[in-house]
Amino acid sequence: MRFNCPCCGERGAEEFVYHGDAAATRPDANSPTAMADFIAYTYERTNAAGVHRELWYHAAGCHLWLVVARNVMNHQIISVARARDVALAQTAQATCGAQSNGGT
Amino acid sequence: MADQALAAQSAFSELKPVQSAALSIEVRDGLTIASIAAGKGKAADVRAVMQKAFGIDLPDRPLRVEGGGISVIWHGPDQWLAIAPRGAGDRDLESELAALLDGIAAVTDQSDGRAVVRLSGSCVRDVLAKGVPVDLHASAFASNGVAITHASHIGIVLWQIDETPTFEIALFRSFADSFAHWLAHASVEFTAG
Amino acid sequence: MPFQRHRMPVGGLIDRSRKIRFAFDGVNYAGYAGDTLASALLANGVKLTGRSFKYHRPRGIMSAGSEEPNALVELRTGAYREANTKATTIEIFEGLKASSQNRWPSLAFDVMAINSLLSPVFVAGFYYKTFMWPAALWEKLYEPLIRRAAGLGRASAQSDPDTYEKATAFCDVLVIGGGPAGLSAALQAGRSGARVLLADENATLGGRAIDDGADIDGLPAAQWVSSAITELASLKNVRVFKRTTVFGAYDGGTFGAVERVSDHLAKAPTGQPRQRLWHVVAKQSIVAAGATERPIVFANNDRPGVMLAGAVRTYINRYGVRPGQRAVVFANNDYAASTVASLNKAGVDVVALVDSRETPSEGVRAILNARGTRLISSAVISSVSGKLRVKGVTVRTADGRTETLACDLVAMSGGWTPNIQLTTHLGGKPVWLDAIGSFVPGKLPPGMSAAGAASGAMGLRDALESGLASGSAAARAAGFTPAASVVPRVENDSSAFAPLWRVDGGRGKAFVDMQNDVAVGDIELANREGFRSVEHLKRYTTLGMATDQGRTANVNALAIMAGLTGKPIPETGMTMARPPYTPVAIGAFAGHHRGKAFKATRRPPSYAWSKEQGAVFVETGLWLRPGFFPRAGETDWLQTVTREVNTVRNAVGVCDVSTLGKIDVQGRDAAAFLDKLYMNGMKSLAIGRARYGCMLREDGMLMDDGTVARLGENHYVVTTTTANAVKVSQHMELCQQWLWPELDVQMISATEQWAQYAVAGPKSRGLLQRVADPAFDISDAAFPYMQSGVISVLGGIKARLFRLSFSGERAYEIAVPARFGDALIRRLMEAGKDLGVCAYGTEALGVMRIEKGHISGPELNGTTTPHDVGLSGMVSTKKDFIGRVLGGRPGLIDPDRPALVGLRPVDRTERLRSGAHFLGRHASATAGNDEGHMTSVAYSPSLGHWIGLGLLKRGPQRTGEIVRAYDPVRSGDTLVEVVAPCFIDTAGERLRG
Repeated sequence: MRFNCPCCGERGAEEFVYHGDAAATRPDANSPTAMADFIAYTYERTNAAGVHRELWYHAAGCHLWLVVARNVMNHQIISVARARDVALAQTAQATCGAQSNGGT
Repeated sequence: MADQALAAQSAFSELKPVQSAALSIEVRDGLTIASIAAGKGKAADVRAVMQKAFGIDLPDRPLRVEGGGISVIWHGPDQWLAIAPRGAGDRDLESELAALLDGIAAVTDQSDGRAVVRLSGSCVRDVLAKGVPVDLHASAFASNGVAITHASHIGIVLWQIDETPTFEIALFRSFADSFAHWLAHASVEFTAG
Repeated sequence: MPFQRHRMPVGGLIDRSRKIRFAFDGVNYAGYAGDTLASALLANGVKLTGRSFKYHRPRGIMSAGSEEPNALVELRTGAYREANTKATTIEIFEGLKASSQNRWPSLAFDVMAINSLLSPVFVAGFYYKTFMWPAALWEKLYEPLIRRAAGLGRASAQSDPDTYEKATAFCDVLVIGGGPAGLSAALQAGRSGARVLLADENATLGGRAIDDGADIDGLPAAQWVSSAITELASLKNVRVFKRTTVFGAYDGGTFGAVERVSDHLAKAPTGQPRQRLWHVVAKQSIVAAGATERPIVFANNDRPGVMLAGAVRTYINRYGVRPGQRAVVFANNDYAASTVASLNKAGVDVVALVDSRETPSEGVRAILNARGTRLISSAVISSVSGKLRVKGVTVRTADGRTETLACDLVAMSGGWTPNIQLTTHLGGKPVWLDAIGSFVPGKLPPGMSAAGAASGAMGLRDALESGLASGSAAARAAGFTPAASVVPRVENDSSAFAPLWRVDGGRGKAFVDMQNDVAVGDIELANREGFRSVEHLKRYTTLGMATDQGRTANVNALAIMAGLTGKPIPETGMTMARPPYTPVAIGAFAGHHRGKAFKATRRPPSYAWSKEQGAVFVETGLWLRPGFFPRAGETDWLQTVTREVNTVRNAVGVCDVSTLGKIDVQGRDAAAFLDKLYMNGMKSLAIGRARYGCMLREDGMLMDDGTVARLGENHYVVTTTTANAVKVSQHMELCQQWLWPELDVQMISATEQWAQYAVAGPKSRGLLQRVADPAFDISDAAFPYMQSGVISVLGGIKARLFRLSFSGERAYEIAVPARFGDALIRRLMEAGKDLGVCAYGTEALGVMRIEKGHISGPELNGTTTPHDVGLSGMVSTKKDFIGRVLGGRPGLIDPDRPALVGLRPVDRTERLRSGAHFLGRHASATAGNDEGHMTSVAYSPSLGHWIGLGLLKRGPQRTGEIVRAYDPVRSGDTLVEVVAPCFIDTAGERLRG
């Protein structure tokens, strides 16, 4: 496999380390349902046959964490994005959503 | 105190220098190296300071720039390696840059953490192809290009200096002898006989 | 023996001016430069080259390429000996020595040929049936017997003296195969300016254009080929790799290829490897790997002298060799025309063309008529006579009449199988094409196309056209603008074909897979016993599982099974291949990474000095750390380690701890960030102080421990264990980039910047005062336990000083820039001579930490919680941190969990062993009674007996109890007493000074 690192350009899979599913967001530790939330966050995966969103680390390159959309059926890489950008966009969206939901 | 001064030791104890038109290999000891990591939201400030102090634009892509007595290597998003010869004045980029960039960037001494070697000559790309999995062909790699990658499984930062071509490679100091061993193996066809 | 009596007077691409001498089975022969071992043997009339795998049947040369199943030989001698090399691909060199395999005492008289008589025993599945009972005899009797009787060549059993290397190549267009299609593709893509890499497994390009003796643009194909080569050589953007097999296609346009740099030479030139393994990264790829001819399955089709018709043409046209004197051609297709033409050209007497079809095409008949050659149509060869070589054939016509023809060569052709292997490596399913009776590539991986015979374009004109078209398309896809292509003037030869999968009714075995000795009877047996799916067939009969992956066998076998089950061939199965296309030496995969270079090693700053001292090194991850420093007169390691421990406890010792991971953490949110990573608080750490800290995984288990020192308001230095440095750094990056990207934190690894030495023992401060610059006060008042600071040593060298202790003694860690590390340890040793200083290694370090009950790798084993190792008091309840929530799961705070204790043998003379399991004193040794295990042990010089740390159920509440430490693997069963996990200075007075 080859990944198109947003920083370094295209590199072979041997430069990257797989971490796991990028779908979940870390839950609020102070929520009353924290225990169940963390169990789901840490362990529960659907492992669908198809496209996964995964965290990969460019260990032998720029040390960037990446969110990679990969089809696990044929190793096709659909997209590669900086995890930091994805996380910040998610936070922004969540904040936006909360504001509009609670908007008075 | 002069009698007490400690002797500096090169990271490379086993690297044989090579000197020919096809290939030359030379250890670059005596460098002062500092890493610069811009604080959150401070990259523009860091660029401005560096422009003012050295007349250089910090690269935002894997490139190398040179000017004002230092060269700067892109080292990740909003991160750079600044390099200069330590020289007779025992220049110390960490303290120099920490003073300039106080409050807007983390500056860390890397002078000893990195061993640097320079490779030059018409066969350099063939040598590097034996361990570096990056396309260094002139059509794919800029003449001031930078790559953070590995050579024979040893992490390196590589940058091109000129179109001879000349490259420099920085690696973590403790790997220096393993790297030298690989380099000797990779270059033997151009140095034998 | 007359010299090369089967060599034609003219013709071929060999260099007749260069005679090459070689030996086969101890007999000296000569050939010409450009010969393969096979062509040179044939030129000398040698037809018998080996014995078969199972039945020891005499075998000869069947093909002229890498598909060869029979002519496998041992090449070279001594440590250089390589088994199972194909005579058809070995280029001869001066002094080459090869020998036949799997025969004793000689090739012509082989005792084990008796296996042929026992053949009913060796049918498909014989492993499972014959040697079932009694099972006890399997290892002692059956397997050695089978191994001796069956098999191929012998490995040299010596270390491989050759060198290998690996390299990466990038290109826009990779062209695999340098026959007519591949050359056209490479030319067309190359002319557009694309970076082209053309690889061909042979020593010369041209492929079947040369083998078949065709004309292109009115000139002999060899001339067209040589002008194509000249043009390719003139293009700077084209690289041509001869003797290079692309053996595997991998994800993302990557390929594996092996270049046989020096295999064709007696000895690799200085500086050159024997082979080079290429990792090719290609934007586009064109599989122009040609096709492999199929044998026809008839009785005794394996006799030396039965050859593939295409190979016969190759030996004549490429090598100028007559493979026989009297030939019978047996075919089901129109390529017979060029076979007969080539045989005529070589002056071989063509006895007859036996064609299974009613009417071969006009072209075939014209060639036969020209010389009055006999055609026997609607006929088959039903069997071959002769044992060590062909003597004749029995021909049977459709009406059942038989006739015997004397001959010494059978040129057979069952049609052609496109070499689609590389198109299936990534799971691409091939599709069946009736017109050629074979599979062609189906849906191809992204960026790949197929051209020429590999794509099913069998005619020469079609091959050239498809090559040009693929070359253009690939160049365009890679961003180049190819010019319009001009197809050379050339006609398609007729590829008309009618299937003939097997000939029944002959006397003798009819082989399908020659290399694994699988005959048609084995397939019938598999069918009768229900092993009908292609996957079962393969495993039951071993068909297609030899080193050639059944290249000449698979399609015939499928067709035969389809005939038996009455199903169409594509429904019976398909031929999917795995890498490698042809076998690749393990040495090539290893490349430079063997012996000392098996993996990189990391040397700590004190390495050179330690080596001078005769230190014994241990590997910690990639690091080579001194384990201990033996001195003259010390007889074993325990004596040395005991001395080192005693020195630290009574005077002062120095240990290189540079290998600990050191990460510089800076930024306005550095404190907040570390609070999220560590289970204990770091915000409250005062500037200039250090604190022990633990990180957990999100599941609540301990991940790593180390110290955190605060150098400034927004500046910390954290250390990790040596083993986990990379993992922790990656984890911290994940936290910073993904979990908490809003924080202002910068992390830089500074592990390698600093040479860091632990200076430990009651006299440690005294020693340090001799190197620290006097401006810095390191008295206990100014520099108490857990203090940290920036100082300078030896006249202005910047340094960091930490007062930390792993040993339990007064101790410091002093760090200087790594280039001074070597000089500093020399200076410390010199300066501390009168204090009795010694260096100590990881062994003494380990002993002292066990004496103090400090946890390390064996306790930080991924299954322990802070509670398990007695650190629950450190866990903050005031903040969120990674692992907090799940660490609170009932199962993880269950008091019944094994927890850290100290242990000592009841009989103080007994030694302890880590890994021993704890059992109640009177409990029986069953898994149900298991109460935990001994994690670390050491001989304590301070106490004069063995001590241990262990994880014992409810351990901390069982102080004083006696349990069994049970170690059945090493026959250990020791009574041990449970004590607190600290054996020395429990109040911690020494480390505070």
